[in-house]
Amino acid sequence: MVKISVLQHDPSVHLPVRPGDPTPVSRNLNPLMHPFAKARERTRALNAAKMDRMFAKPFVDALEGHVDAVEVLCRRPGSLTNIASGSWDGGVIMHNLSTRSQIFNISQAHKGKVSGLCFSNGEGERLLSCGVDRNINLWAINEETSTTQKPLTVFPGKTAFNSMDHHRTDPLFATASNTVQIWDETKSAPISNLSFPTSTETITSVRFNMSESSILASLGTDRTFTLYDIRTGKAERRVVMQMQSNALAWSPTFPTTILLASEDHNLYTFDIRHLATPTQIYKAHVAAVMSCDWSPTGTEFVSGGWDRTVRIWQEGKGHAPEVYHTKRMQRVSSSIYSADARFVMTGSDDGNVRIWKAKASEKLGVVTARERASIEYRDSLKERWKVDKEVDRVARTRHLPKSVHQTAKLKREMLDARRVKEERRRKHTRVGEEKPKPERKKTVLVEQT
Amino acid sequence: MDALIAQADSIQKIQKKQKYAQEHLKSSSSSVKPSSSLPKPDNTRNSIAKRTNVPRSLQDKHELSNPGPSYKHIANKKLRTQLTRQSEQGARSKALLEDAEMLLMEDEGGMQVEGDMERTWRVAQSEIVSEIGQEAAKGRKEIRLDGGPYRSRYSRNGRHLAIVGRNGHVSTFDWQTGTVHAELQLEETCRDITFLQDHSFFAVAQKKYVFIYDRDGVELHRLKSHIEPTRLEFLPYHWLLASVGNAGYLKYQDTSTGQLLVEHRTKFGACETMAQNLHNAVIHLGHQNGCVTLWTPNLPHPAVQLLAHLGPVVSVAVDPSQGGRYMSTAGRDGTLKVWDCRNWKGAVREWSSRGGGDPVLEWSQRGYLAVASSGTVNIHQPPSIQTAFNAKVQPPLYMTHPIPHRPLTSVRFAPFQDILTVGHDAGLSSILIPGSGEANFDSREANPFENKKARREREVKTLLDKIQPDLITLDPEIVGNIAPPSKLTTETTFDGKPSKEIPFARLPRLERLKVSGKVDDGENNSGPEDEEGLDDETRRQRKAEQEKRKMRGRNKSLKRYLRKQRKNVVDPAAVAIRRKLERQREERRKTAAEADGSLEQKKPSALDRFKRKM
Repeated sequence: MVKISVLQHDPSVHLPVRPGDPTPVSRNLNPLMHPFAKARERTRALNAAKMDRMFAKPFVDALEGHVDAVEVLCRRPGSLTNIASGSWDGGVIMHNLSTRSQIFNISQAHKGKVSGLCFSNGEGERLLSCGVDRNINLWAINEETSTTQKPLTVFPGKTAFNSMDHHRTDPLFATASNTVQIWDETKSAPISNLSFPTSTETITSVRFNMSESSILASLGTDRTFTLYDIRTGKAERRVVMQMQSNALAWSPTFPTTILLASEDHNLYTFDIRHLATPTQIYKAHVAAVMSCDWSPTGTEFVSGGWDRTVRIWQEGKGHAPEVYHTKRMQRVSSSIYSADARFVMTGSDDGNVRIWKAKASEKLGVVTARERASIEYRDSLKERWKVDKEVDRVARTRHLPKSVHQTAKLKREMLDARRVKEERRRKHTRVGEEKPKPERKKTVLVEQT
Repeated sequence: MDALIAQADSIQKIQKKQKYAQEHLKSSSSSVKPSSSLPKPDNTRNSIAKRTNVPRSLQDKHELSNPGPSYKHIANKKLRTQLTRQSEQGARSKALLEDAEMLLMEDEGGMQVEGDMERTWRVAQSEIVSEIGQEAAKGRKEIRLDGGPYRSRYSRNGRHLAIVGRNGHVSTFDWQTGTVHAELQLEETCRDITFLQDHSFFAVAQKKYVFIYDRDGVELHRLKSHIEPTRLEFLPYHWLLASVGNAGYLKYQDTSTGQLLVEHRTKFGACETMAQNLHNAVIHLGHQNGCVTLWTPNLPHPAVQLLAHLGPVVSVAVDPSQGGRYMSTAGRDGTLKVWDCRNWKGAVREWSSRGGGDPVLEWSQRGYLAVASSGTVNIHQPPSIQTAFNAKVQPPLYMTHPIPHRPLTSVRFAPFQDILTVGHDAGLSSILIPGSGEANFDSREANPFENKKARREREVKTLLDKIQPDLITLDPEIVGNIAPPSKLTTETTFDGKPSKEIPFARLPRLERLKVSGKVDDGENNSGPEDEEGLDDETRRQRKAEQEKRKMRGRNKSLKRYLRKQRKNVVDPAAVAIRRKLERQREERRKTAAEADGSLEQKKPSALDRFKRKM
């Protein structure tokens, strides 16, 4: 007798039991059942990369109100929506980002440029502003300020101020003029002056460290970068660099990391325990970098430059940042991250404050679970296939304004020529006499204590 | 400042404190001796371990028997960790894949003999029908139709069947429920039919052109560029419709964009045999002169050309069960052959068919080979049909079934069913072949039970996953693998250091020429250094050989090299070459003199060994 069995599919297993039920899924993971699995996955990855670029619409809104260039932006601590902006016309505006309205607008906070803004962190939260009119004003944050246009207090200074920053916890703030001055909110004169012994420079920027809050750093016009401790009341270290820096920011998560935005088109992160070389050089801007700010997570930071672009960098990755630009945006003089790390605000010479998404292709609004799952799948596909030439090309290519593109080309050419010349010169000197200098060692000229 | 620096290394600080505490403890009670060999507990890790660990019930219990290659040689720590993690993940998923086989629910069909004298091929269809259940027996059908020999084609999920008669009768239907989708009388010669992505479209190779119809039989397109087509194939993952015709052109039409992708002139005349390899989308054509050619869209010539038979090739089929490794061909010379597609040296198996008529071949999903010739259908079983066997005898039969309506023009296995449909002069007959069909389908690939919504969903998904036609190659694994290192490389090594890639633009000119393959290194080949150990005889022979191989002129490149050297520069290389040329000239003169007898040949003496070698 021959035993015979013939393949039969039971429809009750493969069809939904009741109408409306989900259709049962049967899987067979045998690779022979899935021909071209890899090739299809690559197509999917390529589509994911293309979709990412298609959805990349980073610009959210522009906040108007200033009649001149926006010089400084400041995030209100403990708030997701409030930021303050100061302008060259002397106006200070406090914006609500979610409603995109003005909380108050002081049209003549200072005579001339408003050079620094910070929030005090005592009860009732006040706003401090400083300007080139040699005054520091303290403002109440309410509707009345808008109508009265009068500060609560005025701290008179001797010289024009360039920058200011508030202490994390204490009612202290620091200003930058020809020296760094520490002020108490309750006293009308500075409580101490900090400066490096031999320095005669003008200080352009000053920032308190966020974790070790008595440490502060400043930038000077002598291409210097100085660290102070307000407990000792002394300047601890000073670094003279190749070119002047325009802005600095302390990392919110790594207390020893500091970010400098330099005039030589680069950004530098330093570990302050080792100031001889930067830990990373960030190269992409084609003109001076005017401002920088860390994301609250400490993994990204934003920079705005004289080349009319905003760039978003990954910490530790010194090339190929995300780049934002619009036709109407001029030189970007200030840029900050929002407190939830989802948005970036920039102030530029055209007098607007612009809101951008920190991740260009992120969807705003409610994301369903299915959508979230497919976004995550697409992300992992991109990550997995990033070595593929085509996928990588799609993911990496950014359209740049013509001027930026041409400048970048010119810059590359010049750097190449310089490198070649250097090589030729080395080739024609005695062997071992002249060694190539690493890029990182070129930045710092001297470290002083 | 110092406070900040101390703060930054806070973890270390704690450890220092502990060490101090330990020492303190040790000094106070010397009897306690902490084991210094044990690794120090990581405080930071311990503090968060409780909250970050995966619960034990969810932890992976798979012990990796083979954790993959070690990447100790890679200096970059980040990359090393990533690679290790990747290979571990790969090994783990492989292990999980093996586990998943247990979850396959359905069992394959089959026939098992109990006695020694019983043979499966003795079992007739009537016995099978009486043995199995009523529902399964529905697969056995005889369809009587007028209008010439019929050809048939199943949709990819095995649910729908399209048939075409030679005289123009076309029909598509769901063969399980018996619902007819379309029934057409085209009233002209029709040679082949195929479904496109699913049963909602089908293409018919008609007398002059290929036509595309929708499910209801409405003519949608006339593909004017496909002239007098004889065979059609649809490549489902690339959305390409391939046709070959009497003019001998192989044409690919992209059915998603509508473009005629490419047409290849085969140069072999009219072609009536075509098959596709499901696993690499290569088209196999059988020609009148006995050649079988393999085609891809991106090559204007066949990727493989093979003289398979001594007469016209009448049928080609590719085995889907082994990843497209085996191909079978049938020729009018009466032989049937099974080939290994990785090694074309010779056929794996070869036997001759009985009776007249052209054999038709088809492989099932599980590797059963059906051969229909001269009134019978023979089925051969997989392991024996694919193993090499020298004698030219028929491989053991699995089943056989006589069909009295000659000629038998097509055989098609139904996917995911144990059914074979044979098209012949009087219609179609489906017979039951236990064990031929794949039991467990994957509903993401092809689902016989899919509803309208799922079909639409899948259509969109597959269209999004459409693979570009230029990725069709003989080896489908090429995608996502590392490219083999180029032979023209800019890699160089310096005094024992690891090799280093130097950009092309920064290489010196000679190196650049070498890399681009333009350098003339003729002078380097005749290096006399390695010939020290050879005796004169072999050396002379080799020299004569070299002389012979040279077509024109002697050592032109060397002379050119010398000419290009500036005369007033004393270059040691040039001097050496000049000396060498001189020596060669002298030797040539000497051998010529010996040949014409002006210089008598010296006898080899024992003192020759002290002579200075040239």
